[in-house]
Amino acid sequence: MARVRLLQLGALAAVLALWALIAAAGLVSSTALPGPRAVAVAFWQLAGSGAFWQAVGETLRGAVTGLVVAVAVGIPVGLVTGVYAAAEESSRLLMEILRSFPVIALLPVFLLVLGSTPGMKATVVFIACVFPVLLQAQYGAQSVPPSIRETVHGYRIPRLLRFRRVILPGAAPSIMTGLRLAATTSVLVAIGVEVLTTLPGIGHMIMESQQAGASARAYACILTAGAIGHTITLLAQFAEHRLLRWRPPALAGGE
Amino acid sequence: MWLPVVVFAVLIVSTAGSTSFYFPPLTEVLDVLWTELAHGGLFGDLLFSLRNIVLGLALAIVVGVGAGLVIGEIRTLRLATGPLLDFARATPTVGFVPVIILTLGIGSGPKVFLIFLGSVWPILLNTVSGVRAISPAVHETARGYRIPWRLRLRRVILPGALPQILAGIRVALSIAVVLMVVSEIYGSPDGLGNFILQSGSSFHVAETWAGTILIGILGYGLSVLLLLCEHLLLGWYHQRAPRARPAKTATIESIDTIEKSNGVVV
Repeated sequence: MARVRLLQLGALAAVLALWALIAAAGLVSSTALPGPRAVAVAFWQLAGSGAFWQAVGETLRGAVTGLVVAVAVGIPVGLVTGVYAAAEESSRLLMEILRSFPVIALLPVFLLVLGSTPGMKATVVFIACVFPVLLQAQYGAQSVPPSIRETVHGYRIPRLLRFRRVILPGAAPSIMTGLRLAATTSVLVAIGVEVLTTLPGIGHMIMESQQAGASARAYACILTAGAIGHTITLLAQFAEHRLLRWRPPALAGGE
Repeated sequence: MWLPVVVFAVLIVSTAGSTSFYFPPLTEVLDVLWTELAHGGLFGDLLFSLRNIVLGLALAIVVGVGAGLVIGEIRTLRLATGPLLDFARATPTVGFVPVIILTLGIGSGPKVFLIFLGSVWPILLNTVSGVRAISPAVHETARGYRIPWRLRLRRVILPGALPQILAGIRVALSIAVVLMVVSEIYGSPDGLGNFILQSGSSFHVAETWAGTILIGILGYGLSVLLLLCEHLLLGWYHQRAPRARPAKTATIESIDTIEKSNGVVV
Protein backbone atom coordinates (compact mmCIF):
# COMPACT_ATOMS: atom_id res chain seq x y z
CA MET A 1 0.00 0.00 0.00
CA ALA A 2 2.81 2.35 0.93
CA ARG A 3 4.52 1.52 -2.33
CA VAL A 4 1.38 2.38 -4.28
CA ARG A 5 1.08 5.72 -2.50
CA LEU A 6 4.70 6.43 -3.31
CA LEU A 7 4.11 5.58 -6.94
CA GLN A 8 1.08 7.82 -7.06
CA LEU A 9 2.96 10.71 -5.50
CA GLY A 10 5.73 10.13 -8.01
CA ALA A 11 3.29 10.29 -10.91
CA LEU A 12 1.81 13.50 -9.52
CA ALA A 13 5.27 15.01 -9.17
CA ALA A 14 6.13 13.93 -12.71
CA VAL A 15 3.03 15.58 -14.12
CA LEU A 16 3.70 18.79 -12.18
CA ALA A 17 7.32 18.81 -13.33
CA LEU A 18 6.28 18.28 -16.94
CA TRP A 19 3.76 21.07 -16.63
CA ALA A 20 6.37 23.42 -15.13
CA LEU A 21 8.82 22.47 -17.87
CA ILE A 22 6.36 23.14 -20.69
CA ALA A 23 5.34 26.45 -19.14
CA ALA A 24 8.96 27.50 -18.51
CA ALA A 25 10.17 26.50 -21.96
CA GLY A 26 7.61 28.84 -23.47
CA LEU A 27 6.24 26.25 -25.89
CA VAL A 28 2.84 27.83 -25.37
CA SER A 29 2.24 31.40 -24.32
CA SER A 30 1.86 32.01 -20.59
CA THR A 31 -1.72 33.20 -21.14
CA ALA A 32 -2.63 29.76 -22.49
CA LEU A 33 -0.77 27.77 -19.86
CA PRO A 34 0.65 29.50 -16.79
CA GLY A 35 3.10 27.55 -14.65
CA PRO A 36 2.01 25.50 -11.63
CA ARG A 37 3.59 27.98 -9.22
CA ALA A 38 1.56 30.89 -10.60
CA VAL A 39 -1.60 28.81 -10.37
CA ALA A 40 -0.82 27.81 -6.79
CA VAL A 41 -0.30 31.46 -5.83
CA ALA A 42 -3.55 32.43 -7.56
CA PHE A 43 -5.35 29.67 -5.74
CA TRP A 44 -4.02 30.83 -2.40
CA GLN A 45 -5.26 34.33 -3.10
CA LEU A 46 -8.66 33.04 -4.20
CA ALA A 47 -9.08 30.84 -1.13
CA GLY A 48 -8.79 33.96 1.03
CA SER A 49 -11.47 35.91 -0.83
CA GLY A 50 -15.15 35.78 0.02
CA ALA A 51 -16.20 36.22 -3.61
CA PHE A 52 -14.62 32.90 -4.52
CA TRP A 53 -16.48 30.92 -1.87
CA GLN A 54 -19.67 32.69 -2.83
CA ALA A 55 -19.13 31.56 -6.41
CA VAL A 56 -18.56 27.98 -5.24
CA GLY A 57 -21.77 28.23 -3.22
CA GLU A 58 -23.75 29.53 -6.21
CA THR A 59 -22.55 26.68 -8.40
CA LEU A 60 -23.33 24.08 -5.77
CA ARG A 61 -26.76 25.56 -5.10
CA GLY A 62 -27.77 25.35 -8.75
CA ALA A 63 -26.35 21.84 -9.04
CA VAL A 64 -28.02 20.53 -5.89
CA THR A 65 -31.45 22.03 -6.64
CA GLY A 66 -31.50 20.50 -10.10
CA LEU A 67 -30.22 17.18 -8.79
CA VAL A 68 -32.83 16.91 -6.04
CA VAL A 69 -35.69 17.53 -8.45
CA ALA A 70 -34.17 15.07 -10.92
CA VAL A 71 -34.03 12.39 -8.23
CA ALA A 72 -37.59 13.11 -7.10
CA VAL A 73 -38.86 12.72 -10.65
CA GLY A 74 -36.43 10.17 -12.05
CA ILE A 75 -36.66 7.39 -9.47
CA PRO A 76 -40.48 6.97 -9.43
CA VAL A 77 -40.80 7.23 -13.20
CA GLY A 78 -37.89 4.85 -13.68
CA LEU A 79 -39.32 2.27 -11.27
CA VAL A 80 -42.78 2.37 -12.80
CA THR A 81 -41.51 2.08 -16.37
CA GLY A 82 -39.15 -0.67 -15.24
CA VAL A 83 -41.93 -2.74 -13.70
CA TYR A 84 -44.45 -2.46 -16.49
CA ALA A 85 -42.89 -3.76 -19.68
CA ALA A 86 -45.47 -2.04 -21.86
CA ALA A 87 -44.55 1.37 -20.46
CA GLU A 88 -40.88 0.70 -21.03
CA GLU A 89 -41.33 -0.51 -24.59
CA SER A 90 -43.49 2.36 -25.68
CA SER A 91 -41.25 4.98 -24.15
CA ARG A 92 -37.95 3.43 -25.28
CA LEU A 93 -37.45 5.30 -28.52
CA LEU A 94 -38.48 8.58 -26.95
CA MET A 95 -36.06 8.03 -24.07
CA GLU A 96 -33.26 7.19 -26.48
CA ILE A 97 -33.80 10.38 -28.40
CA LEU A 98 -34.14 12.55 -25.33
CA ARG A 99 -31.14 10.96 -23.69
CA SER A 100 -28.82 11.57 -26.60
CA PHE A 101 -29.99 15.16 -26.87
CA PRO A 102 -27.26 17.57 -25.78
CA VAL A 103 -28.94 19.61 -23.05
CA ILE A 104 -26.55 22.51 -23.41
CA ALA A 105 -27.88 23.01 -26.93
CA LEU A 106 -31.16 24.04 -25.35
CA LEU A 107 -29.44 26.88 -23.55
CA PRO A 108 -30.26 29.63 -26.08
CA VAL A 109 -33.88 28.50 -26.00
CA PHE A 110 -33.93 28.54 -22.22
CA LEU A 111 -32.31 31.94 -22.19
CA LEU A 112 -35.14 33.15 -24.41
CA VAL A 113 -37.94 31.54 -22.47
CA LEU A 114 -36.77 31.62 -18.85
CA GLY A 115 -34.19 34.35 -19.00
CA SER A 116 -30.83 34.38 -17.25
CA THR A 117 -31.93 33.31 -13.77
CA PRO A 118 -30.73 30.80 -11.16
CA GLY A 119 -33.95 28.89 -11.86
CA MET A 120 -32.85 28.44 -15.45
CA LYS A 121 -29.54 26.96 -14.29
CA ALA A 122 -31.36 24.51 -12.01
CA THR A 123 -33.73 23.57 -14.86
CA VAL A 124 -30.86 22.75 -17.21
CA VAL A 125 -29.19 20.71 -14.46
CA PHE A 126 -32.47 18.90 -13.86
CA ILE A 127 -32.85 17.90 -17.50
CA ALA A 128 -29.26 16.71 -17.66
CA CYS A 129 -29.51 14.66 -14.46
CA VAL A 130 -32.93 13.12 -14.78
CA PHE A 131 -31.95 10.63 -17.50
CA PRO A 132 -29.09 8.84 -15.74
CA VAL A 133 -31.25 8.50 -12.60
CA LEU A 134 -34.33 7.40 -14.53
CA LEU A 135 -32.57 4.87 -16.73
CA GLN A 136 -30.64 3.33 -13.85
CA ALA A 137 -33.84 3.04 -11.77
CA GLN A 138 -35.57 1.45 -14.74
CA TYR A 139 -32.74 -0.99 -15.24
CA GLY A 140 -32.70 -1.78 -11.52
CA ALA A 141 -36.41 -2.52 -11.42
CA GLN A 142 -36.03 -4.81 -14.43
CA SER A 143 -33.24 -6.70 -12.75
CA VAL A 144 -35.45 -8.01 -9.93
CA PRO A 145 -35.36 -11.78 -10.53
CA PRO A 146 -38.53 -13.25 -12.12
CA SER A 147 -38.87 -15.79 -9.30
CA ILE A 148 -39.22 -12.99 -6.75
CA ARG A 149 -41.63 -11.16 -9.01
CA GLU A 150 -43.82 -14.21 -9.32
CA THR A 151 -43.73 -14.94 -5.61
CA VAL A 152 -44.81 -11.40 -4.82
CA HIS A 153 -47.47 -11.67 -7.46
CA GLY A 154 -48.65 -15.01 -6.18
CA TYR A 155 -49.07 -13.77 -2.65
CA ARG A 156 -51.04 -10.80 -3.96
CA ILE A 157 -48.91 -8.32 -2.13
CA PRO A 158 -50.42 -4.85 -2.47
CA ARG A 159 -48.89 -2.70 -5.14
CA LEU A 160 -47.55 0.03 -2.87
CA LEU A 161 -45.97 -2.42 -0.46
CA ARG A 162 -44.44 -4.24 -3.38
CA PHE A 163 -42.79 -1.06 -4.66
CA ARG A 164 -41.52 -0.11 -1.24
CA ARG A 165 -40.30 -3.47 0.02
CA VAL A 166 -39.33 -5.44 -3.06
CA ILE A 167 -38.64 -3.31 -6.07
CA LEU A 168 -37.01 -0.33 -4.41
CA PRO A 169 -34.46 -2.38 -2.44
CA GLY A 170 -33.88 -4.59 -5.46
CA ALA A 171 -33.17 -1.60 -7.63
CA ALA A 172 -31.15 0.28 -5.00
CA PRO A 173 -27.66 -0.68 -6.22
CA SER A 174 -28.48 0.41 -9.71
CA ILE A 175 -30.13 3.60 -8.47
CA MET A 176 -27.03 4.46 -6.46
CA THR A 177 -24.95 4.20 -9.63
CA GLY A 178 -27.36 6.57 -11.32
CA LEU A 179 -27.13 8.99 -8.42
CA ARG A 180 -23.36 8.95 -8.52
CA LEU A 181 -23.36 9.76 -12.22
CA ALA A 182 -26.00 12.42 -11.86
CA ALA A 183 -24.12 14.08 -9.00
CA THR A 184 -21.02 14.52 -11.16
CA THR A 185 -23.10 15.61 -14.11
CA SER A 186 -24.93 18.22 -12.07
CA VAL A 187 -21.77 20.14 -11.19
CA LEU A 188 -20.44 19.91 -14.72
CA VAL A 189 -23.65 21.23 -16.22
CA ALA A 190 -23.95 24.02 -13.67
CA ILE A 191 -20.44 25.18 -14.55
CA GLY A 192 -21.15 24.86 -18.27
CA VAL A 193 -24.21 27.07 -17.94
CA GLU A 194 -22.22 29.65 -15.99
CA VAL A 195 -19.49 29.76 -18.62
CA LEU A 196 -22.03 30.59 -21.31
CA THR A 197 -24.25 33.00 -19.40
CA THR A 198 -23.80 35.82 -16.93
CA LEU A 199 -25.01 33.77 -13.98
CA PRO A 200 -22.63 33.92 -11.01
CA GLY A 201 -20.58 30.86 -10.10
CA ILE A 202 -17.23 29.22 -10.70
CA GLY A 203 -17.83 28.90 -14.43
CA HIS A 204 -18.46 32.61 -14.69
CA MET A 205 -15.37 33.29 -12.61
CA ILE A 206 -13.23 31.26 -15.04
CA MET A 207 -14.53 33.33 -17.92
CA GLU A 208 -14.05 36.64 -16.12
CA SER A 209 -10.52 35.77 -15.03
CA GLN A 210 -9.53 34.77 -18.51
CA GLN A 211 -11.04 37.89 -20.04
CA ALA A 212 -9.19 40.02 -17.50
CA GLY A 213 -5.96 38.31 -18.60
CA ALA A 214 -5.49 36.51 -15.27
CA SER A 215 -5.20 33.01 -16.69
CA ALA A 216 -3.50 31.67 -13.56
CA ARG A 217 -6.68 32.52 -11.69
CA ALA A 218 -8.76 30.86 -14.40
CA TYR A 219 -6.72 27.67 -14.02
CA ALA A 220 -7.08 27.82 -10.24
CA CYS A 221 -10.86 27.94 -10.74
CA ILE A 222 -10.78 25.03 -13.19
CA LEU A 223 -8.79 22.94 -10.74
CA THR A 224 -11.25 23.85 -7.99
CA ALA A 225 -14.08 22.66 -10.22
CA GLY A 226 -12.17 19.43 -10.77
CA ALA A 227 -11.69 19.04 -7.02
CA ILE A 228 -15.41 19.53 -6.42
CA GLY A 229 -16.27 16.95 -9.06
CA HIS A 230 -13.74 14.50 -7.66
CA THR A 231 -14.93 15.00 -4.08
CA ILE A 232 -18.51 14.36 -5.12
CA THR A 233 -17.52 11.14 -6.87
CA LEU A 234 -15.62 9.96 -3.79
CA LEU A 235 -18.47 10.88 -1.44
CA ALA A 236 -20.97 9.08 -3.64
CA GLN A 237 -18.77 5.98 -3.74
CA PHE A 238 -18.43 6.08 0.03
CA ALA A 239 -22.20 6.45 0.50
CA GLU A 240 -22.75 3.59 -1.91
CA HIS A 241 -20.49 1.30 0.11
CA ARG A 242 -22.15 2.23 3.39
CA LEU A 243 -25.74 2.03 2.18
CA LEU A 244 -25.37 -1.14 0.19
CA ARG A 245 -23.37 -3.19 2.64
CA TRP A 246 -25.96 -5.96 2.41
CA ARG A 247 -25.31 -6.36 -1.27
CA PRO A 248 -23.38 -9.53 -2.11
CA PRO A 249 -19.88 -8.55 -3.19
CA ALA A 250 -20.21 -10.48 -6.43
CA LEU A 251 -22.64 -7.88 -7.67
CA ALA A 252 -20.62 -4.98 -6.41
CA GLY A 253 -18.45 -5.12 -9.50
CA GLY A 254 -16.07 -2.25 -9.67
CA GLU A 255 -12.39 -2.23 -9.15
CA MET B 1 -43.60 2.46 -30.70
CA TRP B 2 -46.76 4.44 -30.49
CA LEU B 3 -45.63 6.92 -27.85
CA PRO B 4 -43.19 8.95 -29.98
CA VAL B 5 -45.83 9.23 -32.66
CA VAL B 6 -48.39 10.42 -30.14
CA VAL B 7 -45.97 12.94 -28.67
CA PHE B 8 -45.14 14.22 -32.12
CA ALA B 9 -48.82 14.50 -33.02
CA VAL B 10 -49.66 16.23 -29.74
CA LEU B 11 -46.84 18.70 -30.30
CA ILE B 12 -48.07 19.50 -33.80
CA VAL B 13 -51.67 19.89 -32.72
CA SER B 14 -51.00 21.81 -29.53
CA THR B 15 -48.69 24.30 -31.20
CA ALA B 16 -50.69 24.51 -34.43
CA GLY B 17 -52.48 27.73 -33.71
CA SER B 18 -49.84 28.93 -31.31
CA THR B 19 -49.47 32.65 -31.10
CA SER B 20 -47.01 32.41 -28.24
CA PHE B 21 -43.82 34.19 -29.12
CA TYR B 22 -41.55 31.58 -27.61
CA PHE B 23 -43.28 28.48 -28.90
CA PRO B 24 -43.98 28.87 -32.60
CA PRO B 25 -45.99 26.14 -34.38
CA LEU B 26 -43.90 23.01 -34.92
CA THR B 27 -44.78 22.97 -38.60
CA GLU B 28 -43.31 26.44 -38.96
CA VAL B 29 -40.13 25.34 -37.18
CA LEU B 30 -39.76 22.33 -39.46
CA ASP B 31 -40.44 24.54 -42.44
CA VAL B 32 -37.71 26.95 -41.39
CA LEU B 33 -35.36 24.03 -40.77
CA TRP B 34 -35.93 22.79 -44.30
CA THR B 35 -35.50 26.14 -46.05
CA GLU B 36 -32.42 27.01 -43.99
CA LEU B 37 -30.85 23.66 -44.78
CA ALA B 38 -31.66 23.83 -48.48
CA HIS B 39 -31.06 27.49 -49.21
CA GLY B 40 -29.60 29.17 -46.14
CA GLY B 41 -26.18 28.76 -44.56
CA LEU B 42 -27.30 26.07 -42.14
CA PHE B 43 -25.89 23.24 -44.20
CA GLY B 44 -22.44 24.83 -44.08
CA ASP B 45 -22.80 25.20 -40.31
CA LEU B 46 -23.74 21.55 -40.03
CA LEU B 47 -20.67 20.51 -42.01
CA PHE B 48 -18.40 22.71 -39.89
CA SER B 49 -19.74 21.21 -36.67
CA LEU B 50 -19.67 17.67 -37.99
CA ARG B 51 -16.07 17.99 -39.15
CA ASN B 52 -14.91 19.28 -35.76
CA ILE B 53 -16.65 16.44 -33.96
CA VAL B 54 -15.25 13.77 -36.24
CA LEU B 55 -11.70 15.13 -36.08
CA GLY B 56 -11.75 15.64 -32.31
CA LEU B 57 -13.26 12.26 -31.65
CA ALA B 58 -10.86 10.48 -34.02
CA LEU B 59 -7.92 12.07 -32.24
CA ALA B 60 -9.37 11.10 -28.86
CA ILE B 61 -9.87 7.49 -29.99
CA VAL B 62 -6.29 7.17 -31.26
CA VAL B 63 -4.74 8.71 -28.16
CA GLY B 64 -7.20 7.26 -25.66
CA VAL B 65 -7.04 3.68 -26.91
CA GLY B 66 -3.26 3.83 -27.35
CA ALA B 67 -2.57 5.22 -23.91
CA GLY B 68 -5.26 3.03 -22.36
CA LEU B 69 -3.70 -0.16 -23.73
CA VAL B 70 -0.29 0.81 -22.39
CA ILE B 71 -1.60 1.85 -18.96
CA GLY B 72 -3.83 -1.20 -18.72
CA GLU B 73 -1.02 -3.59 -19.55
CA ILE B 74 1.62 -2.15 -17.24
CA ARG B 75 0.55 -2.60 -13.66
CA THR B 76 2.95 -0.10 -12.11
CA LEU B 77 1.86 2.61 -14.47
CA ARG B 78 -1.78 1.83 -13.81
CA LEU B 79 -1.40 2.07 -10.05
CA ALA B 80 0.63 5.26 -10.28
CA THR B 81 -1.70 7.14 -12.59
CA GLY B 82 -5.00 6.01 -11.06
CA PRO B 83 -5.82 9.05 -8.90
CA LEU B 84 -4.54 11.46 -11.54
CA LEU B 85 -6.79 9.96 -14.20
CA ASP B 86 -9.77 10.07 -11.85
CA PHE B 87 -9.11 13.72 -11.18
CA ALA B 88 -8.67 14.51 -14.85
CA ARG B 89 -11.98 12.85 -15.60
CA ALA B 90 -13.75 14.85 -12.90
CA THR B 91 -12.43 18.16 -14.20
CA PRO B 92 -15.09 19.81 -16.33
CA THR B 93 -13.77 20.43 -19.82
CA VAL B 94 -16.29 23.21 -20.33
CA GLY B 95 -14.12 25.21 -17.93
CA PHE B 96 -11.36 25.13 -20.51
CA VAL B 97 -13.58 26.64 -23.18
CA PRO B 98 -12.89 30.30 -22.28
CA VAL B 99 -9.20 29.63 -21.67
CA ILE B 100 -8.63 27.88 -24.96
CA ILE B 101 -10.85 29.97 -27.20
CA LEU B 102 -9.59 33.28 -25.86
CA THR B 103 -5.96 32.29 -26.29
CA LEU B 104 -6.00 30.12 -29.39
CA GLY B 105 -8.68 31.93 -31.35
CA ILE B 106 -12.11 31.15 -32.68
CA GLY B 107 -11.13 28.93 -35.61
CA SER B 108 -11.63 25.23 -36.06
CA GLY B 109 -8.39 24.08 -34.39
CA PRO B 110 -9.20 25.08 -30.79
CA LYS B 111 -12.62 23.42 -31.09
CA VAL B 112 -11.12 20.16 -32.29
CA PHE B 113 -8.69 20.38 -29.38
CA LEU B 114 -11.50 20.99 -26.87
CA ILE B 115 -13.54 18.08 -28.19
CA PHE B 116 -10.44 15.90 -27.99
CA LEU B 117 -9.70 17.06 -24.43
CA GLY B 118 -13.19 16.25 -23.21
CA SER B 119 -13.73 12.95 -24.96
CA VAL B 120 -10.33 11.35 -24.45
CA TRP B 121 -10.93 10.48 -20.75
CA PRO B 122 -13.89 8.12 -21.01
CA ILE B 123 -12.17 6.30 -23.89
CA LEU B 124 -8.89 6.04 -22.02
CA LEU B 125 -10.45 4.89 -18.73
CA ASN B 126 -12.70 2.38 -20.44
CA THR B 127 -9.79 0.97 -22.40
CA VAL B 128 -7.85 0.52 -19.16
CA SER B 129 -10.71 -1.30 -17.48
CA GLY B 130 -11.35 -3.30 -20.66
CA VAL B 131 -7.79 -4.56 -20.66
CA ARG B 132 -8.12 -5.43 -16.98
CA ALA B 133 -11.35 -7.32 -17.59
CA ILE B 134 -9.62 -9.87 -19.84
CA SER B 135 -9.41 -13.08 -17.90
CA PRO B 136 -5.97 -13.73 -16.39
CA ALA B 137 -6.01 -17.23 -17.86
CA VAL B 138 -6.07 -15.78 -21.37
CA HIS B 139 -3.21 -13.47 -20.49
CA GLU B 140 -1.14 -16.26 -19.01
CA THR B 141 -1.72 -18.51 -21.99
CA ALA B 142 -0.69 -15.82 -24.45
CA ARG B 143 2.38 -15.11 -22.38
CA GLY B 144 3.17 -18.75 -21.83
CA TYR B 145 3.25 -19.47 -25.54
CA ARG B 146 5.53 -16.46 -26.00
CA ILE B 147 3.28 -14.90 -28.55
CA PRO B 148 5.04 -11.79 -29.86
CA TRP B 149 3.69 -8.65 -28.18
CA ARG B 150 2.45 -7.16 -31.43
CA LEU B 151 0.39 -10.19 -32.28
CA ARG B 152 -0.80 -10.40 -28.69
CA LEU B 153 -1.91 -6.78 -28.79
CA ARG B 154 -3.73 -7.19 -32.06
CA ARG B 155 -5.28 -10.59 -31.51
CA VAL B 156 -5.77 -10.90 -27.77
CA ILE B 157 -5.81 -7.63 -25.91
CA LEU B 158 -7.51 -5.34 -28.40
CA PRO B 159 -10.42 -7.69 -29.19
CA GLY B 160 -10.80 -8.50 -25.51
CA ALA B 161 -11.06 -4.87 -24.53
CA LEU B 162 -13.15 -3.88 -27.55
CA PRO B 163 -16.61 -4.05 -25.93
CA GLN B 164 -15.53 -1.66 -23.20
CA ILE B 165 -13.66 0.58 -25.63
CA LEU B 166 -16.77 0.98 -27.75
CA ALA B 167 -18.85 1.74 -24.68
CA GLY B 168 -16.31 4.44 -23.86
CA ILE B 169 -16.52 5.88 -27.36
CA ARG B 170 -20.29 6.07 -27.04
CA VAL B 171 -19.96 8.12 -23.87
CA ALA B 172 -17.29 10.25 -25.51
CA LEU B 173 -19.62 10.99 -28.40
CA SER B 174 -22.23 12.65 -26.22
CA ILE B 175 -19.50 14.69 -24.52
CA ALA B 176 -18.15 15.67 -27.93
CA VAL B 177 -21.54 16.93 -29.10
CA VAL B 178 -21.93 19.08 -26.00
CA LEU B 179 -18.43 20.52 -26.30
CA MET B 180 -19.07 21.25 -29.95
CA VAL B 181 -22.15 23.26 -29.03
CA VAL B 182 -20.53 25.05 -26.09
CA SER B 183 -17.39 26.01 -27.98
CA GLU B 184 -19.47 27.36 -30.85
CA ILE B 185 -21.81 29.29 -28.60
CA TYR B 186 -18.84 30.76 -26.79
CA GLY B 187 -17.00 32.03 -29.82
CA SER B 188 -17.31 31.00 -33.42
CA PRO B 189 -18.13 32.48 -36.79
CA ASP B 190 -19.68 29.20 -38.01
CA GLY B 191 -21.36 26.11 -36.70
CA LEU B 192 -24.69 25.03 -35.32
CA GLY B 193 -24.01 26.50 -31.87
CA ASN B 194 -23.32 29.85 -33.43
CA PHE B 195 -26.49 29.55 -35.50
CA ILE B 196 -28.77 29.01 -32.50
CA LEU B 197 -27.00 31.71 -30.51
CA GLN B 198 -27.31 34.27 -33.31
CA SER B 199 -30.93 33.50 -34.04
CA GLY B 200 -31.72 33.37 -30.32
CA SER B 201 -30.20 36.71 -29.51
CA SER B 202 -31.93 38.32 -32.47
CA PHE B 203 -35.24 36.75 -31.38
CA HIS B 204 -35.72 34.58 -34.46
CA VAL B 205 -37.38 31.96 -32.31
CA ALA B 206 -38.32 29.55 -35.09
CA GLU B 207 -34.69 29.47 -36.28
CA THR B 208 -33.49 28.84 -32.73
CA TRP B 209 -35.80 25.87 -32.33
CA ALA B 210 -34.86 24.62 -35.80
CA GLY B 211 -31.16 24.72 -34.95
CA THR B 212 -31.78 23.02 -31.62
CA ILE B 213 -33.74 20.25 -33.29
CA LEU B 214 -30.98 19.81 -35.86
CA ILE B 215 -28.41 19.38 -33.07
CA GLY B 216 -30.66 16.78 -31.49
CA ILE B 217 -30.96 14.93 -34.79
CA LEU B 218 -27.19 15.14 -35.24
CA GLY B 219 -26.55 13.74 -31.75
CA TYR B 220 -29.04 10.94 -32.20
CA GLY B 221 -27.88 10.16 -35.74
CA LEU B 222 -24.25 9.88 -34.68
CA SER B 223 -25.10 7.57 -31.80
CA VAL B 224 -27.18 5.35 -34.09
CA LEU B 225 -24.26 5.23 -36.52
CA LEU B 226 -21.97 4.25 -33.69
CA LEU B 227 -24.32 1.48 -32.60
CA LEU B 228 -24.30 0.15 -36.16
CA CYS B 229 -20.50 0.07 -36.18
CA GLU B 230 -20.64 -1.69 -32.84
CA HIS B 231 -22.88 -4.40 -34.18
CA LEU B 232 -20.52 -4.91 -37.10
CA LEU B 233 -17.44 -5.06 -34.90
CA LEU B 234 -18.94 -6.93 -31.99
CA GLY B 235 -21.14 -9.44 -33.76
CA TRP B 236 -19.12 -12.26 -32.21
CA TYR B 237 -19.59 -10.78 -28.77
CA HIS B 238 -23.32 -10.30 -28.87
CA GLN B 239 -23.91 -13.72 -30.39
CA ARG B 240 -22.15 -15.43 -27.56
CA ALA B 241 -24.39 -16.74 -24.79
CA PRO B 242 -24.67 -14.10 -22.10
CA ARG B 243 -23.39 -16.62 -19.60
CA ALA B 244 -20.04 -16.85 -21.34
CA ARG B 245 -19.47 -13.14 -21.14
CA PRO B 246 -17.73 -11.54 -18.23
CA ALA B 247 -20.39 -10.64 -15.68
CA LYS B 248 -19.53 -7.00 -15.67
CA THR B 249 -20.03 -6.43 -19.36
CA ALA B 250 -23.07 -8.64 -19.65
CA THR B 251 -25.37 -5.69 -19.81
CA ILE B 252 -23.50 -3.27 -21.97
CA GLU B 253 -26.39 -0.95 -22.43
CA SER B 254 -27.14 -0.28 -18.81
CA ILE B 255 -24.03 -0.85 -16.80
CA ASP B 256 -21.19 0.02 -19.08
CA THR B 257 -22.49 2.99 -20.92
CA ILE B 258 -24.04 4.55 -17.94
CA GLU B 259 -21.75 3.49 -15.20
CA LYS B 260 -18.61 4.40 -17.05
CA SER B 261 -19.95 7.68 -18.23
CA ASN B 262 -19.24 10.52 -16.00
CA GLY B 263 -21.67 12.93 -17.46
CA VAL B 264 -23.57 11.45 -20.29
CA VAL B 265 -24.65 14.89 -21.22
CA VAL B 266 -21.77 17.09 -20.38
